[in-house]
Amino acid sequence: MVDAVTYDVVQITLLSLYVSGSATILGSLIGVPLGAAVGLKEFGGKGLLKTITYTMYGFPPVISGLFIYYIFSRAGPLGDFGILFTPTAMILAQTLLVIPLVAGVTITSVSEVDKNIKNTVLSLGASDRQATFTVIKEAWVGVITAVMIGFGRAIAEVGAAYMVGGNIEGKTRILTTSIMLETRMGHFGYAIGLGVVLLIVACGVFLFMRWLQERELL
Amino acid sequence: MSEILRTEGLTKEYAKKIAVSDVSMSVSEGDIVGIMGPSGSGKSTLFRLINLLERPTRGKIVFDGNEISTSSPDVHLIRRKMALVLQKPSAMNRNVFNNVAFGLQLRQVEKGETERRVSDYLERLGLTESRERNARSLSGGEMQRMCFARSVIVEPKLLLLDEFTANLDPQNISILEKAVRDFVNQGGRAAVVITHNPFQAKRLCNRAALMMNGGIVEEGETLRIFNNPTDERTKAFVSGEMVF
Amino acid sequence: MKDKSPLVGIIVLAIVMILLMGSVAIQPGRQRLTLATTTSAYDSGLLEKILPNFESKYDCIVDVIAVGSGQTMEIGKNGDADVLLVHSPASEKQFVKDGYGTSRTLVAYNQFVIVGPESDPAGVSQAVNATDAFKRIYQNGTEGNAIFVSRGDLSGTHTKEKSIWVKAGLNVSTFSNTWYLSTGQGMGAVLDITEQQTNKGYTLSDEATYYTRRETGIIPHLEILNQGDPLLYNQYSVIPVNPDRWPSVNATLATDFVNWITSPEIQNMIGNFTDAYGHKLFVPNAGPGSVAETHTLSSQFQAVIAIRTD
Repeated sequence: MVDAVTYDVVQITLLSLYVSGSATILGSLIGVPLGAAVGLKEFGGKGLLKTITYTMYGFPPVISGLFIYYIFSRAGPLGDFGILFTPTAMILAQTLLVIPLVAGVTITSVSEVDKNIKNTVLSLGASDRQATFTVIKEAWVGVITAVMIGFGRAIAEVGAAYMVGGNIEGKTRILTTSIMLETRMGHFGYAIGLGVVLLIVACGVFLFMRWLQERELL
Repeated sequence: MSEILRTEGLTKEYAKKIAVSDVSMSVSEGDIVGIMGPSGSGKSTLFRLINLLERPTRGKIVFDGNEISTSSPDVHLIRRKMALVLQKPSAMNRNVFNNVAFGLQLRQVEKGETERRVSDYLERLGLTESRERNARSLSGGEMQRMCFARSVIVEPKLLLLDEFTANLDPQNISILEKAVRDFVNQGGRAAVVITHNPFQAKRLCNRAALMMNGGIVEEGETLRIFNNPTDERTKAFVSGEMVF
Repeated sequence: MKDKSPLVGIIVLAIVMILLMGSVAIQPGRQRLTLATTTSAYDSGLLEKILPNFESKYDCIVDVIAVGSGQTMEIGKNGDADVLLVHSPASEKQFVKDGYGTSRTLVAYNQFVIVGPESDPAGVSQAVNATDAFKRIYQNGTEGNAIFVSRGDLSGTHTKEKSIWVKAGLNVSTFSNTWYLSTGQGMGAVLDITEQQTNKGYTLSDEATYYTRRETGIIPHLEILNQGDPLLYNQYSVIPVNPDRWPSVNATLATDFVNWITSPEIQNMIGNFTDAYGHKLFVPNAGPGSVAETHTLSSQFQAVIAIRTD
């Protein structure tokens, strides 16, 4: 019979990885193509769009939380989905934070790819879409870095997750919100322990991804 | 001999400058046409227009019997029949084999066939030993040979070479020039070569043109251009007086 | 031979995510009741003790959201919870009157205490009642001998605090922030801040939070200086969210909850509940006449809901 505390910590950790992992994936699926498109095309307002994206790096998580809370509360425009106080709401709130980060770093990486590569690829007969994919592949290391940075932002944040999740035990309680709770209740030892777990988990994910990169599997 | 490429009054104007001015030329099967001229005379821009990477302000391009333009549907399919090799080689971040095979992979050529054709070209350009190496680790000359192979392996009808041997040592230049000749001699195709080097023009090209300030000053058979230039500027150029 | 494929890594990560999804996101299909309550109620540990009884009896899962009282009421108004357990009588009455809640039923009360430094410069321990104590704090605060730390977050504790100032004839908005600190924090943090105001800091706290922090050595210099005044009673009530307003709430289960928490068995459990240090914190007072307010429901729901009226 697993010790109750251990079970809790395991469950909380898995939920943290699920929520932040999903937000990273969702945010990257949107952010990478967006960043590649902006990085590769020339258009009026490109400079402005880039500046806005980079500024959104500092988009406060609490505002993302507030926004999601407002629209998904039963009293809000999308309340009928009943998403507030569920992991889904937390994922959405974190995704909003991940998108600008992933898009911005992708823009930078893609811009650094030799301009000639795109022209060469086009002159070899690639369609626009194929050319974009090829450039993304050239900028791949940068793109993976973007995704990892996005994950870092998601796993570390607490404001949005707390607001839209409600910190419900067994349902929406993750490592960061647990630490808030335990500190509030005065269980500093437990809170520090959770903090250590969070650090190990976050580092672990990064190390794993680096390991995959080194084996050229990522 | 069938005409591969014809331009009529091709012009490209930017806000502050006219890059290409009323260029009309014709390239037939088997031709290797040299385009010479000082920097900034519009040679590279002319190539970009022909390759449909930019839209001309005025003028017409006829390629392989059809009028083409940047608004043609499937522009990329038209480009597949041309190849552009630039002065500075750009290697994709993969091994030499996959760089050269890229065009074939785009066209979804069957694996065995790809293997055969790539190996053949690697052999011809002396790159067989570097097959597995990451292309970025090649020397300048090796990389340019690889880029050449990458461009011609897809058997384009028109080969556009923009100072493709500048900065290379004589041995590499010789290998590449031979490759161009072999390529064109296979029939049904032509090449246009932008070059700074009059000697290269004399070696490689059967026809030559001098371009200045976006326009063609004089063009004709290579030997005639060098031995009997009619225009003053051409005279100055071939005598070496013009500094560029 | 091709370059190693970067897709392998992506596939590995995708598989990991799918496994995570399976282990985490699949929740048992039982009924769920969303209970919104205050942080002080939650932190006392009472709910952790008694809720399993409800969950097994009614074969459901209770999702507890613990936030400040102000937000708890808002959650109820927005229909984001099924039932509320709160301790702000004035707001609660208005809440039911405005039709947001079906009824308001008393559950139990605990007590607030006035805590301060052992040295007690304001002489709070000699005050005859809570109002007197607050007057003394005000007096000493304006003279620079005392500091009062307030929740400042519209919580039940904060509301109680404000009502005592009113009873003492004092206007909080005139208080200078050199001695009256409005923090917007939870009870634990406020106690910590009070502890930091060496030999000067006073605050109003619930017993449970005080004892926890005191016994774990976080607030070694704060003592309970005044308690027992009925004005310091802190009444908890349970309010189901009105299904006429928000049809999506689990009205049946919410009613079951009201019946359950006011049943003799559970009332007993509440009365016998002690914190980790042996202190009994709650006095159950659901009983005859404990249904304080009701709101007439539309006929659609009346058949479903049984309200205690004895």
